[in-house]
Parts: sequence; structure tokens; C-alpha cells
Amino acid sequence: MEQQQDLPHKLADASDALLAERAGDGDVASFDMLARRYGPLMRAYARRLVRSYDEADDVVQDALFTAWRDIAALQDGSAVKSWLMRIVSRRAVDTGRRRKTHSNLEDQSETADREPTPEQLAVAGSARRALEKALTRLPEEQRRCWVLKEYGGLSYTEIAEELGISITSVRGRLARSRITLVQEMEEWR
Amino acid sequence: MAMNPTNGCSLHIADLSDYLDTGTSPDAAHIENCPQCHARLAGLRSLSAAAHELMDDDVASATSDAGWLDGILASLRLETRAGRPIPLQGGPDDELTETEGAVIALVRSVGDSLGGVLIGRCRLEGEVSVPGAPVEVRIHVSARYGYPLPTLAQQLREAVWAQLLVHTELNVMAVHVAFTDLRPPLDEAFAQESEDFGESGRSGGPAGLGEDSE
Repeated sequence: MEQQQDLPHKLADASDALLAERAGDGDVASFDMLARRYGPLMRAYARRLVRSYDEADDVVQDALFTAWRDIAALQDGSAVKSWLMRIVSRRAVDTGRRRKTHSNLEDQSETADREPTPEQLAVAGSARRALEKALTRLPEEQRRCWVLKEYGGLSYTEIAEELGISITSVRGRLARSRITLVQEMEEWR
Repeated sequence: MAMNPTNGCSLHIADLSDYLDTGTSPDAAHIENCPQCHARLAGLRSLSAAAHELMDDDVASATSDAGWLDGILASLRLETRAGRPIPLQGGPDDELTETEGAVIALVRSVGDSLGGVLIGRCRLEGEVSVPGAPVEVRIHVSARYGYPLPTLAQQLREAVWAQLLVHTELNVMAVHVAFTDLRPPLDEAFAQESEDFGESGRSGGPAGLGEDSE
């Protein structure tokens, strides 16, 4: 059979929906293309949700494995991005739960290794740096809600499902996290 | 502190967030005229802007060690999808089959080799496991602008039919081609984009763009 040299180019150009259909039919190249399109975002997201970079990469790997297994069942291929992000959320939250059952570490200490270095902070007194610092000091339950919302684009209902809490709690945690974050950013200025 | 409502403004920060997200609020009239709400909205807006910047930074740094994804994808060793077994005539003592997944991969490969065509979902309808049972093939196709669709559909049908005849013993009654997606013509913008496809995905094209079957 004739080999298609331009297949990678064709795939790079393809819509999410088409790639998801092909991946669902077993096309590994299409799945790889989706992974390349959204892998960096999945990784960035995971890094904000779990304790260490290594843990984040494990989460991404698990998430991609799950995605390959389940993508044939995905109804709307054009929603593949948010679907992938939800899988990452779930894996990251599971990781957090597993960790908690193994140790009694306080939430606050979990983020200690992600405190920006003084050098990083000196680079710019920018709002972004201030936010990064404020984020690491947020209680984990609030930080998770905030990251699921802002990075993952999840709705209140979806966040409530992922975390096993009520929608009212989601609203409350998001509100508290935003109050704290805005205050800390203003103090930084 | 501006984020804590005092002096008569009792609107909750969550209500202001909703207002920011949706652009509407039952308290819109109050928000318009409340200096505290204005200040808190400004805070929420700069938080949102900083969040976008931080996320962009995070994504950039998540991409900085090239190859990390290759490692993960290689380690996944993705299983192939077999689907139903499709019988082939063997010798008297042989039970010979090929898998539905292999036949669909064949259709994909035949279609992808045609200029302008990218195959989407492919379905084999009918009792493929029963020798001689009538089977219809349904293919979703993404076409690039500039190719005449009826001609393309005809070429695709003929090519798929011919290869199925060679590689399977399926009793193919029809090959249905549905163009579900159109891609813009190849140009320099695309050449650049293809090197930078991690940025953002494209939403799917209009569904059910056209169907052409025989």
C-alpha cells in the first residue's frame, strides 16, 4: 500500500473532533496528535494540582492511558480538550486522596516545594508572580477549586462532582480563594 | 480591605464573580452604582488577567523539556482495538480471521492516501462475522477546500472498494461517504502552524456537511 508522507501534516491540521473519531477507531497517530496538542496544558494543570513535578507527570501518563482506553466512548469529539482536562482533574484528586491516606501531612505543607525562589520573585514584582506566591499559600482545598475552575475551565457542578462536595461548598471555596488571592496581590503591589 | 464588603454593601464576592463570568446579575443595578463593588470587580479582573498570564507561563515551562511527552507516549504502549473477528476462508482445518480494527485501519490508510482526504470515523455495518453477510461501510471524511467533493467521494469509494476486495472477503454492498469537516487550503500559515500545533486546537467543522453515497 502506498505510504502517505504528508499524513503528519494532514493530522496537524485536523480538527479535534476528527482526531478524536480516528483515535476512537484505533488510530494511534491521531491520539498522539491530540496528546501533543493538549499535553503541555494537561501537564501545567497537573503541576498546579499535585505536590511535585514527578507526581504531575505520573498524573498525565495515567490520564493519557485512560483517555486512550475510553476515547471511543466520547460522544462529542470537539469537546475532547475539556474531557482530557477532567480526566487529569480526577487523576490528580485521586493522587491527593491516596497520599492523604498514607500520611497525615497538613494541607499547607504540601505546597512547600513549589514556593518560588527569591530569584524568581525578584525577576518581576508582577501580578503573575504575586499570584503564584499567593497560590502556594492557599489551603489545598481552596487551591484545588480555584485551579479546577481557572485552568481546567470546569463548571461549579463539575468541580462539585470531582471533589465530592456540594455546589454551595464549591462557590464558598472559590469565593474565599478569590478574596485571599486578590488581597495578597494588592499587598504585593 | 476592598475585598471585604462593609458600609452597607452586602453583595457576596461569589455574586460578583458570577457577574464577571456571565455579564448579568439580578444585582446589576446595584453593582453599576456601588463604588465598593467597582473596586472588588477591578480586583477580580486583575486576578483573572494574572491567572491567564500564569497559565501561559506554566504551559510554556511544561513544554521546555522537549521529549517528555515522547517518553510518556512511548511508555503507554497503546493497545490496538480489535473489534469483531471477520472470517477468512482458510484450508479445511484452518480457522482464519482478521479483525474489524485491521479492516478499519485499512480503510483509513486507503482514504488518507488520496489528496485532500482525511478519514474520520469508519463503521462496518452488518454481520461481519458471518461469511457472505451483506456489509455497508460508512466513512466520515474531512476534505481540504478546493477539491470537488463529488469526484473525491467517487475516487474514495472506488479505492476503498478495491482494497476491501483484495484484503477481505466482506460482501460489501455500499460505501457511504459523508463529508463532516472541511479544512482550509494549505498555505504558509499552515506550514507555520504545523510546527506549533501545541498552541490550541481547532473546533470541529460543521457536522453533516454533505452526504454522498451509492
